[in-house]
Amino acid sequence: MTGTATPAQGPATPAQGPVEPVRERGRRRVRRKVPTRTPYQAVKPGGGRLGGPLAALPWALPAFALVGVLLVYPFLRSVYGSFFEDNGFTSSFTGLDNYARLADDPIFGRSLLNTLMWVAGTLLLPVLAGLLLAVATHRMRFGGIVQLIIVLPYAISGAATAVLWNFMLTSDGAVNQVLRGAGLDGWARTWLLEWPHNTLSMIVASTWQATGLNVVLFAIGLRAIPRETVEAAQLDGASGWRMFRYITLPGLRAVTVVVVGMAIVNSLKAFDMIWILTKGGPSRSSETLALSMYRETFRLFHVGYGSAIALVLSVIVVASSWMYLRRQMPDADAAKS
Amino acid sequence: MGRAVRNALVAGCVLLWLVPLYLLVVNALTPAAEYAGRPEWTFQGFALWENAEAAWDAAGIGDSFQASLLYAVVCGLAAVLVAAMAAFAVVVLPIPRPAFWFWLIYSGTLFPLQMFLAPLFGLYADADLYDTRLGLMLVYTAWAVPFAFFLIRNHMTTMPPELTEAALIDGASFRRIFWRVHVPLMRAGLGAAFLFQFTAVWNDLLLGITLSRSPDVQPVMAALTALNTAYSTTGPPVILAGALIVSAPTLLLFLVFRGLFLRGVTASAR
Repeated sequence: MTGTATPAQGPATPAQGPVEPVRERGRRRVRRKVPTRTPYQAVKPGGGRLGGPLAALPWALPAFALVGVLLVYPFLRSVYGSFFEDNGFTSSFTGLDNYARLADDPIFGRSLLNTLMWVAGTLLLPVLAGLLLAVATHRMRFGGIVQLIIVLPYAISGAATAVLWNFMLTSDGAVNQVLRGAGLDGWARTWLLEWPHNTLSMIVASTWQATGLNVVLFAIGLRAIPRETVEAAQLDGASGWRMFRYITLPGLRAVTVVVVGMAIVNSLKAFDMIWILTKGGPSRSSETLALSMYRETFRLFHVGYGSAIALVLSVIVVASSWMYLRRQMPDADAAKS
Repeated sequence: MGRAVRNALVAGCVLLWLVPLYLLVVNALTPAAEYAGRPEWTFQGFALWENAEAAWDAAGIGDSFQASLLYAVVCGLAAVLVAAMAAFAVVVLPIPRPAFWFWLIYSGTLFPLQMFLAPLFGLYADADLYDTRLGLMLVYTAWAVPFAFFLIRNHMTTMPPELTEAALIDGASFRRIFWRVHVPLMRAGLGAAFLFQFTAVWNDLLLGITLSRSPDVQPVMAALTALNTAYSTTGPPVILAGALIVSAPTLLLFLVFRGLFLRGVTASAR
């Protein structure tokens, strides 16, 4: 996995073997006359018996209909609805009032702060822990088993993880039990009932679940670093930190972009864990934007205001997944790096 | 560098990761009547069956389990089929402006679900789809299509164009090319997409609590959440047994098809 090549280029390039350089070059020259084609272009001259360009539409139509009616239309309707004061029964146009209200709503401020804590915490804990564990278990004797254990929680659903951690974190739960048992009575506290602790302990709980996937992704990246590079660096006397800093880390760049992008987006979308553990409480102190939107819309029936929060969240999600998205664009060669 | 340090670090992490899992199993096995109000650290008996039964019947996880199984299987299959057809149209067929179609369908995974919820709720209330299995199946399928489309499209672009050309020269129709050439060759990719969407639908909570209410329609995660709300009356053993039941299908799929499963995730890293 080089990470930089988009799949679209893959097929047309002839297999490169170092064994037959001459013939390889010959094949390339022939290739140049027949320009490399994507599968898409193979059918292009079609027309005629194939029924022209519109013949393809029925194939895309089911997907378009489902996504259009159930996702794209609601999306646009949400944007439109965010300009209305709407309690579910009556609505009146209020322009940008909903957005103006966001600015001096203390609950929204707290919610934004919690969201930032989630993003920062997710970048700090699962991504770093994932990198560390992947490097530590790489080429280790029981590395595969270790990775399997760490990735197990990933296969458990978010809701079940939350239920388990609720059991761990309640006031007479396992965490406090361990702390008291270790003589650290002062550290035991009502984890889910006070503000900074509830958000922080939920971040830890989601770290327990999310790290495994990062370990696996980083491990795949590590395996893709060519042995020759590592050996050459070893010959030059690199080891330990210098090896990690100048060989491993640059080799993992492509994977890191993906892991970081996914971590940010997932932390912004985190809902199950918070909803089950605290429902955003007590007194809405652990809400993130995802929770605030749900509470405003479906509990308090401030539908327009909820839509405004959803739009703010969407803008943040799309903006922060931009670097990750750039790599996934279908026909943008400029975006490759 | 310090091999000992590395080993200690790894061992510590493994321990940290195993303790919650261990507690989950031990306490799900504890007989509910004997639970003393604080987590047990040793096996107190083997009441998994009783606890699971209590969660399954009394707490209504059973009904939801069947409903969720239906949603996850049907919606996963439907989404993969619809997405494969769309990918075929965008990658292989001469559709005008493939990039536009790609973004139109792919945009469904970009935005957080919150962006769709309120209008969906209104739409469902108007169309009498609220709290029906059909309604949830429709929205799950639509929600699963974009990412399945993305995975399958990426896989399809790696197929040599010569295959399509050869089939065209032999006089095959598009339908024949799709079913006889692309689908068989992409079996692994389609399988990965299905597993991925099965898990996504199975694990969904937000759509479930928004668009359904009655126990036989609610997906399983919503039922587990309802069970957890009654934490003090039901008692942790039953709740944890419920969490085990709910996790069993995805855990099983993950252990059996680990390679295929991770392929779905890592495809985006490629």
